[in-house]
Amino acid sequence: MDWVKIWTFFFFLSLGLFTALAVIVAIGGFFNIRSLFKDLSEARRGHGPRNDSRAEA
Amino acid sequence: METDFAKLGFSTSFTVLDWCIVVGYLIAVVSIGVYIRKYVASATDFMVAGRGLKTFLAIATMIGTELGLVTVMYSAQKGFTGGFAAFHIAFAAAIVTLFVGVSGFIVVPLRRLNVMTIPEFYEKRFGRDVRILGGAILAFSGILNMGLFLKAASLFVMGVTGLASEIHLKIVMTVLLCMVLLYTTLGGMVSVVVLDYIQFVVLAFGLVIASVLSIRHLGWTNIVETVTREMGDSGFNPFNEAGFGWSYVLWMFFMGLVSCAVWQTAVIRACSAKDTATVRKMYSLSSIGFLIRFLIPYFFGICALVFIANSSSLRSVFLSAEGKADPDLSLRAMPFYLSQILPSGIIGIVTAGMLAAFMSTHDSYLLCWSSVLTQDVVAPWFRKDLSSRVRLLLTRIFILAIGIFILVWGLWFPLRQDLWDYMAISGAIYSIGGFTLLAFGLYWNRASRTGAYLALLSGILALLGLSKVQELCAPMLAPIKARFGIEGDISSAVIGLLVLILAIVLMIAGSLLWPDRERNRYHAEREES
Repeated sequence: MDWVKIWTFFFFLSLGLFTALAVIVAIGGFFNIRSLFKDLSEARRGHGPRNDSRAEA
Repeated sequence: METDFAKLGFSTSFTVLDWCIVVGYLIAVVSIGVYIRKYVASATDFMVAGRGLKTFLAIATMIGTELGLVTVMYSAQKGFTGGFAAFHIAFAAAIVTLFVGVSGFIVVPLRRLNVMTIPEFYEKRFGRDVRILGGAILAFSGILNMGLFLKAASLFVMGVTGLASEIHLKIVMTVLLCMVLLYTTLGGMVSVVVLDYIQFVVLAFGLVIASVLSIRHLGWTNIVETVTREMGDSGFNPFNEAGFGWSYVLWMFFMGLVSCAVWQTAVIRACSAKDTATVRKMYSLSSIGFLIRFLIPYFFGICALVFIANSSSLRSVFLSAEGKADPDLSLRAMPFYLSQILPSGIIGIVTAGMLAAFMSTHDSYLLCWSSVLTQDVVAPWFRKDLSSRVRLLLTRIFILAIGIFILVWGLWFPLRQDLWDYMAISGAIYSIGGFTLLAFGLYWNRASRTGAYLALLSGILALLGLSKVQELCAPMLAPIKARFGIEGDISSAVIGLLVLILAIVLMIAGSLLWPDRERNRYHAEREES
């Protein structure tokens, strides 16, 4: 088994995949944050301070 | 151990510009964290971001948390000492995380149960006393595990900046910890996920750029040839017993599973996800992140070895005549290498990313262990449910207390043991028992409270993986070593696997011999559903 070839292929493939993932997550995450803040703001306005302890799901 | 590399003709490329980048970046992220506190209205917002994490943000925060500076440091050390063969650990982590994502193993049923912490599941499944014991073991294990984070970060800063005075370094690290405490205490999980996102972006691109620059500087052929010369087949073949060996590879597959599906800081992300579909997507896509968080630091460690092995003056400092390295020095090899190879400006961005990763891990771990202490160790003692306000206050107090502990333990207290051994053993105290309780508790109806107790307590035997403990238990271990012809220490991987088997056997035996007499809330809910 040629481990040098295996690890070389594995390393460059992983680096490529991660670069692609980083770009996608960077863009998608930005929109997710906007959506999260919107949801939290609406929850705050709609219900006021909550006492939800551990029972809340 | 202080070594002034400038005297050997290796000055760092870290300049005033880089300091400005690092300081400016850190001030910006802390300011954002404090600003975000206005969105926190409840304990659920504080601890699991209102369970509002969508796929991309969940992935960013999961990788942002798990790709910590301490991971980068000990992984680089592994690459430095194990060569390309260390890549198998990254491979195992990715395969196991992908399996969890596709199958939903452990994490999907946990999310369905709407628990915030793993010990909360223990209570639903095995009862309140198992929750308290499990929570205490988890918090103890986790807090000890993060005890050396500051030490790792300080070694990184020393290596990159070329700082010689340790007192200056201690001040810098203390300031960093204070900044982490400030925004974690005020913002909770909402701050954590947003900052994890920012830190993911900076660190992801910083790591990719540093990898490309490393390949350009050293050359791929030179890297492969140097590792071949220094390590031979064991530098590439993970099954070669002169390097890692079969038992180590097997142990790494289990550790990969633990890291993504049992370790509380990762599981809390599953609990924070919007729904179970998001959990599956998050884990499937995060498998690439779990792979990279090991792979790139291993590669940096390998590059550091190549850089050092090809310089006679550095070789004499870092490597012995047999080519072995002192653990403290091998930890410093990667940051030192980055300080030589990266140009000013880029090294500032990478350092800011690394320090951000340190803060990101710190904030998540602080929040995680303080939540466990509040929810699972303190709250169950009270018959009346604690209010959200009291829980928030308790969590913040624990954050401060843990922060003070790790500052004293990790920075001012002189530890004299290997970082990797310390990390693996402190984590295994919890993870072996934790895995057994989760796997059997979720998928085996007959798993009982007695079995859970036995499995949790047996995990503590993982401490035998520490060579110092093996020394103390020498008379007890001598017959076993003689029986199997083992010279020197029994490998920590072998001990880990044996303790895991023991925990599983005890869980099964304890459950069959002492089954639960009454059906609990968990069984009732399952029957209803």
